[in-house]
Amino acid sequence: MSSTAAGSKQSTVKQRAELALNDEFLRKAVKFTTERLRSGKKSASEEHGNWDDWRERGRQIRLHTIAHLDYYLNLFADNARANGVHIHFAQTDVEAVRIALEIAQRKQAKSVVKSKSMVTEELHLNRALDSIGVEAIETDLGEYIIQLAGETPSHIIIPAIHKNRYQIADLLSAEAGETLAPDTQILAGFVRKKLREKFLEADIGMTGCNFAIAETGSMVLFENEGNARMVTTVPKTQITLMGMERIIPSFEDLEVMATLLPRSATGQKLTVYMSAITGPRRSDDADGPDEMHIIIVDNGRSNQLGDPEFQELLNCIRCGACLNACPVYRHIGGHAYGGTYSGPIGAVLTPALNSNVAEWDDIANASSLCGACYEACPVKIPLHDMLVYLRRRKVESGNGSKLESAGMKGFSAVMGDARRMRSALKIGQFGQKLVVREGGIRLRLGPLKGWNTYRVAPSLPKHTFRDRWKEVDRDAQMKGKPLDPAVQARMEAIVKQRQQGGGHGHGGHA
Amino acid sequence: MKVSLFITCLSDAFYPNVGESMVRLLARYGVRLDFPPVQTCCGQPAYNSGYWDDARKTAATIIEAFDESDFVISPSGSCTGMIHHYPKLFEHDPVMRVKAEQLQAKSYEFTQFLVHVLGVTDVGATFPHKVTYHPSCHGSRLLGVKDEPLALMQQVKDMELVPLPFAEDCCGFGGTFAVKMANISGAMVTEKADHVLESEAEVLVGLDMACLMNIAGNLRYRNKPVRVMHLAELLYEGVERA
Amino acid sequence: MDMADTHKEWLQQMELQSQAKQKSFIDGISAKLGRPRTEQPPVHPFRGAPDFWRTFEWTAEERIERFGANFRAAGGYVERLSDMDEVRRFISDKAVEWSAKYVVRQGQPELDELNLEDALENANVAVWNSSVDEEWKARAAEADFGVVLADYAVAYTGSITVLSSKNKGRSVSLLPTVLFAVIPAERMRTRLGEPLQQFDAIGREELPAGIHFISGPSRSADIENDLTIGVHGPGVVYALIVG
Repeated sequence: MSSTAAGSKQSTVKQRAELALNDEFLRKAVKFTTERLRSGKKSASEEHGNWDDWRERGRQIRLHTIAHLDYYLNLFADNARANGVHIHFAQTDVEAVRIALEIAQRKQAKSVVKSKSMVTEELHLNRALDSIGVEAIETDLGEYIIQLAGETPSHIIIPAIHKNRYQIADLLSAEAGETLAPDTQILAGFVRKKLREKFLEADIGMTGCNFAIAETGSMVLFENEGNARMVTTVPKTQITLMGMERIIPSFEDLEVMATLLPRSATGQKLTVYMSAITGPRRSDDADGPDEMHIIIVDNGRSNQLGDPEFQELLNCIRCGACLNACPVYRHIGGHAYGGTYSGPIGAVLTPALNSNVAEWDDIANASSLCGACYEACPVKIPLHDMLVYLRRRKVESGNGSKLESAGMKGFSAVMGDARRMRSALKIGQFGQKLVVREGGIRLRLGPLKGWNTYRVAPSLPKHTFRDRWKEVDRDAQMKGKPLDPAVQARMEAIVKQRQQGGGHGHGGHA
Repeated sequence: MKVSLFITCLSDAFYPNVGESMVRLLARYGVRLDFPPVQTCCGQPAYNSGYWDDARKTAATIIEAFDESDFVISPSGSCTGMIHHYPKLFEHDPVMRVKAEQLQAKSYEFTQFLVHVLGVTDVGATFPHKVTYHPSCHGSRLLGVKDEPLALMQQVKDMELVPLPFAEDCCGFGGTFAVKMANISGAMVTEKADHVLESEAEVLVGLDMACLMNIAGNLRYRNKPVRVMHLAELLYEGVERA
Repeated sequence: MDMADTHKEWLQQMELQSQAKQKSFIDGISAKLGRPRTEQPPVHPFRGAPDFWRTFEWTAEERIERFGANFRAAGGYVERLSDMDEVRRFISDKAVEWSAKYVVRQGQPELDELNLEDALENANVAVWNSSVDEEWKARAAEADFGVVLADYAVAYTGSITVLSSKNKGRSVSLLPTVLFAVIPAERMRTRLGEPLQQFDAIGREELPAGIHFISGPSRSADIENDLTIGVHGPGVVYALIVG
């Protein structure tokens, strides 16, 4: 992934976010779409009912599969091979690309039609195909649009979230050689017609993989447009790129994933198409690929295995719910994250896959740790905790900022001792006199610059709570009432229960 | 029975009235709070920024401060939530880890204690204002404090509780995030304050002074006269008024 | 040596490489997981849907009603017809209404009995894979109508399930402009898990190459969130529930 890593060095998430924050259309479009998806998810999960039980079941299935990934992946490979699929294993992006290109060359392919696949984005496969003279055509409407624009997806489910219909009309008009009106029906109609030809003449269909079923060797695709079905039905050769963690044990387990994924992604009960492909076409079938390849890709995934803090990342089912829930994503959009995957999952996944925490850490900083991602996640990945672990790893590897590091030393020195904290507050109470106006501080200097660009900072009152404690306590007791014996009994029971090992029952996810 | 107040550094230094309201309100139920003066900060700024060695130093101070307590009550879901991270923080220190788990088990956010331990939802308050409530992320999402504040607010006489649009969205505080990613944080707090204004409430109430300081700061910056207060303050003021 | 032979040889070569790679790849996973390779099937205590869900079932009438509501909400059309004669009439009427010229249908006996070939006077009706030297995908691509018989339907999600075989093309439910799916009422299930469990029971060797769940017309919201119907697949889908 050297190319994206280099991208991160050219600019910081802060600079990229700056561009997004100043792009009025982008912010409005992202807000509008994420709000629509978020409320769709909310009503779909509420209507379905027992949502947390389903999430927990989904999480358990994913945990179980990843904990036994050696067994299930091996079983999948054996079964898919028995179905007549050519299975390939790629440890790295380079290897995966090499295999895909070799197949394309062997098939003397001129064009490849692709349905949406984040793995191929990760591998920058289109560029590689182009380099050997094979035309790669994205066929998902949104992906097609951003391919024409020469951009990358900014949302995992709605790739062209950042484009408006006028921009899209310009892109498609250039392709059509005539002016197309900025009307959704007209634009989509043009794409349908144009891509129909492409499907029919393409030598290879290329897909990603939502789930792979170990016990039957089947691969499963979820989509709304029908392009993934086109890609797996019309061309003579199918190549599927699959992250090695996409496995689930059985079709029965697919019911749980099919319950969680579409509802979390778009609020649908099921995507318009859910297809399970089990091998190439049977000898007397009249459609489906003659030859089918599945390339199983590691590319950094196995680095999370056996790491208790990050193994759960492999549970991700790529629904995009965390993007829609994330208040930071909503303000800055996907491109500000600078990697293939954006939003909270991208902020953690990108450095995890690349194993280069130090370079990517500024993305981990672009979070208020509000936990909306965790709450939205259909398989309960604790992304907010992982972001903290990433920050810690950066500090532990000696890549923390010098200034911040000194600041934190000062923080712990002061806050590790109440007397020092008290002295610091006294200094503050005295020092602020120069800048306090009407009980607030508006000065935009030093550490207050960022804060005071949007807010007035509060000033320290004359007395802290601890200064007032004795007086408040005395006064409160004078007006106080006796403790209800029933409450006393309850409190004693709670303490007793706690001593017997209970007592964690009053909230908290940890 | 030793019920201790974990005031949190922010309320201690900037918002002493929050602690005062808690002390006075609980005294009415016969709960005399204890205040161990050696307490400082929960260590969250260091923990969240990845400086766990520094976080451990402050966490150890808190663990020691409340070693003798039976219940530890705090006016912040976020700082109480931080205590839930202590076992992880000390995962390689068997002695401290056990102490951390003990502290976690006896720590309560203020409304959790009021509703679940004291069994109180009607404190007898009257508050004749239009009020909206911001559920802070750490308290509501990670600690699970959702129904408690609502149960308490519903019993306040003459108070009109109006919904806050997109209430569950983060206000953009996030500790050092507000400084490091000032413009993203600024966009978030501006949106949050917009929603507060949209609710047309006279008073914004919450359970975490950090978030409230953030939103209040933006409202004040824009010269919007919305009063911002902790629920403990609102309840006690309402009791005094009644 | 012609291309086919060298390609076959190349595939065999790749196959050997892949099998060798599989061992090291999987062993690598075991090593990362910090334990020896598991050969025995692990105990999977969380297989499939939660227990409370497995007993959930609607009555036959309710299934049809819910399917209809869901399918319509997704932009599809639903008709309740009493028998195959009504199906024939319905499709014939639509063919006139749409001036359909080309129709492609699956080759199942139930659809043979419909005898659309005679009923649709102005249309050319092709039966999928009924001759060897036909370009079947092209026939489906040019078709105005595709007619399929559902293998299952799922009320809870409003889905039609079609399985591929010699006389059941995947293209027939995909390439035509308008799709008619005939659903015998007794094939209507409540939960998605019901047909899915069937596939586990059928087992790998007997599974068809293509299993497709279709829950309405092809759609996209990729342009400014504006819902567009019929992006790649059929834009008009009729679910014809019979019986």
